[in-house]
Amino acid sequence: MIVAENLVKEFKVAERGPGLMGSLSTLFSREHRLVRAVAGVSFEIPAGTKAAYIGANGAGKSTTVKMLTGIMTPTSGRALVAGLEPYRERRRNAANIGVVFGQRSQLWWDLPVPDSFRILRRIHEIPDAVYRRNMALFQELLDLDALGNTPVRQLSLGQRMRAEVAASLVHDPKVVFLDEPTVGLDLVLKEAVRRLVNHVNAELGTTVLLTSHDMGDITAICDRVLVVNHGEVVHRGTMHELLRTADTRAVVFEHLGAADEAIGLIEKGLDGASATLTEDGRVKVEYPVARWTARQVMGFLLDHFDVTDCVAPEPDVEMVLRRIYAGRAAA
Amino acid sequence: MNAAALRRYTPFAASSLQSLLQYRSTFLINALTATTAVGVQVFLWRAVYGGRPGGLPGGYDLPRLTTYVLLAQVLGLMQASRVDEEVSGEVQRGDIAVSLLRPVSYPLSRFATGLPVSLTNATLVAVPVVALYALLLPLTTPTWGGILLFAFSAALSLVIGFGVNLLVGLAGFVTTNIWGVRVVKDSVVAFFAGQVVPLALMPGPLAAVARVLPFQGMVDGPLRLLLGRYDGAAGAAGILAVQLGWALALCALAALAWRGAVRRVEVLGG
Amino acid sequence: MTAPGPFSTAARYARLTWHLSAVSVHRLTEYRMDFLLGAGGLVLRVVCQVAVVGMVFRQTPRIAGWDYHEVLFLLGFSLLPRGLDRMFTDQLWVMARKLVQNGDFFRYLIRPVHPLFSLLSERFLYPDGFGELLTGAALTWYAADRLDLRLSAAQWLLLPLLVLCGTLVLASIKTLFASLAFWTTNSFPALYAANQLGDFSGYPLDLYHPSLRWLLTWLLPYAFTAYVPATYLLFGRTGTLPWLFVVTAGAVTLALVVWHRGVDRYEMTGS
Repeated sequence: MIVAENLVKEFKVAERGPGLMGSLSTLFSREHRLVRAVAGVSFEIPAGTKAAYIGANGAGKSTTVKMLTGIMTPTSGRALVAGLEPYRERRRNAANIGVVFGQRSQLWWDLPVPDSFRILRRIHEIPDAVYRRNMALFQELLDLDALGNTPVRQLSLGQRMRAEVAASLVHDPKVVFLDEPTVGLDLVLKEAVRRLVNHVNAELGTTVLLTSHDMGDITAICDRVLVVNHGEVVHRGTMHELLRTADTRAVVFEHLGAADEAIGLIEKGLDGASATLTEDGRVKVEYPVARWTARQVMGFLLDHFDVTDCVAPEPDVEMVLRRIYAGRAAA
Repeated sequence: MNAAALRRYTPFAASSLQSLLQYRSTFLINALTATTAVGVQVFLWRAVYGGRPGGLPGGYDLPRLTTYVLLAQVLGLMQASRVDEEVSGEVQRGDIAVSLLRPVSYPLSRFATGLPVSLTNATLVAVPVVALYALLLPLTTPTWGGILLFAFSAALSLVIGFGVNLLVGLAGFVTTNIWGVRVVKDSVVAFFAGQVVPLALMPGPLAAVARVLPFQGMVDGPLRLLLGRYDGAAGAAGILAVQLGWALALCALAALAWRGAVRRVEVLGG
Repeated sequence: MTAPGPFSTAARYARLTWHLSAVSVHRLTEYRMDFLLGAGGLVLRVVCQVAVVGMVFRQTPRIAGWDYHEVLFLLGFSLLPRGLDRMFTDQLWVMARKLVQNGDFFRYLIRPVHPLFSLLSERFLYPDGFGELLTGAALTWYAADRLDLRLSAAQWLLLPLLVLCGTLVLASIKTLFASLAFWTTNSFPALYAANQLGDFSGYPLDLYHPSLRWLLTWLLPYAFTAYVPATYLLFGRTGTLPWLFVVTAGAVTLALVVWHRGVDRYEMTGS
């Protein structure tokens, strides 16, 4: 459904010296620097997938999304969304896609939300039945009626985001691009947005491409993950596969006995592992995957302690990501 | 206010100048705008003189009128310091509430922001435009006394212009169509200031209205002083006194409007 | 999906225009004060212009061969395309000033209608233009009445077309200069300057130096928005009239080409 082949985007950035003298000198000349925001990214996202596009700030993910939505033309390479090159056939592509840019509005700034939807209905030529079904769904999950007749420019960020998400889905798009779709929303509304996206994916097979700083969005919605760093895809696969790349895993347990003694014993017995006391008095063991298997660690713990409770938490996504970024930077 | 207190306002002036210089095209555009406006007027009046052998009422011969029209645009340019635009923008975005937190007077900081714009426009835009027309057309050379009086008067006109602009900007509390208010200001104020036609050429009743409004102190006053269109020292002093009076009155009015605005921000949060 | 024919496309855009205009009119009733200010401001501006013309003619009965009411007719006529243009294309000012610079322009590229249409649609029937249109019509009517102007059948027939072409020329100039924002991020000064030069077109071009006249006819063709049609209606001059249609077509084409080039190099800055 979404294909990127060697996508490259370069920008010219004007340079300006600091302070008043710097501004004065720009009166006479301007220097430019070429910045490569996306350096040959290739990937493929099958129809019906809910993919997360993850990367550190400045990784080029926004730029990639802008090329996939047809907003920007790539310097080289090619993108295909639902069989169209978005930046070549913007209008036809626009009928296929829905977009949310969390920091920007696509609504009619001076109009109240209901008017924006009436216009969207006209320009997308949405059949009555579809429009009514979707508006009922949005009302149920996002309570759009509560936004009333206030012009969009006077809405709070959270209020506006509800309308933005709904606007991106009102015409039953084949693909929806969500860039920070829950920014400014409280927990209840975040949950509602996630449910809405999952619902349309399940019912209509809508393909989802999500970028978000909120890991909660990603784990609640996405089944596939693309990690970009310095404009290149450095990891692709399921969320599970991403977590499996973690080089340390952890076990947290409770036992009958003194916790601080246990720590010394573990660090002596399991070479390379570290043990710490958690705030609630349990012991957390972190061990390198390369050195120990889970079975060996569990065996050691069961042999030495009277274990009363034990959990093996998933690796922290952000930690895994930090390691991936750091590894690339060092390479 | 002492020097230390005044120094607090220099960052406003410096940053304003800095952001101004970043948009170098603005100067070119301002120059073009002034050139155009002068051009329309000059061509129009040249055609009038072409059909009339004598001078015009109020003692304006063609070079004097050309000088008037040209410098009227320069004064207009200096008074257009974007204060109205920026204040109304802050009001509409709600940023005005933030400015209450700063330990400086908002109107004064706005004046400090506007002043470099005025002065830069005067040097970078007005000098080339005046030079261009001086090359193309015969102008009247003013006397040294005229220039001195003009300098005083032009400074006062800046204050009057600032007061008007600040009031227009604060109108952002009343209407969202600040553009509309500015169109009214740009046409009506410019007209009654004598920026288009000297007051002396207006028909009696219109001139009478213009004379009792504060705006004539923005253009017509300073240029009458420069071109010697007044009766003796008493006449000159009168022009300056009226200007000073209006400058003070407008400052008081702007301060009042600002106080009302602050009360409104405190109640409604901007 | 097959491409729809030109007629169904045109019909679709006409329906959308109708719908969006209805939304604007509805909004107008909610912001009555703003409407009165905007429209009233433009009326006052015209009043000031008329006052200047009046003062000029207090000194002399004719300038460059034109009498008072002829100049008023020209001034009034020049406001008709100007008002119409303002009613439909004022969003270009917003674009030149900030939409490209702050990244908000993206929203016109994700709607399944022509981006230019999508942009303009946000300010369809912008009420401020009514002020110019109505004063323009009144002034033209008054001057024509005073001049005892009798239009021939051909002139009556051509009249709407002349206003339409003038509007298209103005809209093209505006689109062209607003599009420069795709290269410079903020094209407000350029647009403003181009618009400013249009002020020359409210007066007889005979007043001006030949080089300026040439510029206003062939480079920034403001002459075709007022002077050329007005001299045809007033004096039956047809010398440059045929060019009106060529210039309109040329201006529209050039504006659209520059617009499309610009959109293709649009870089959504910010976030």
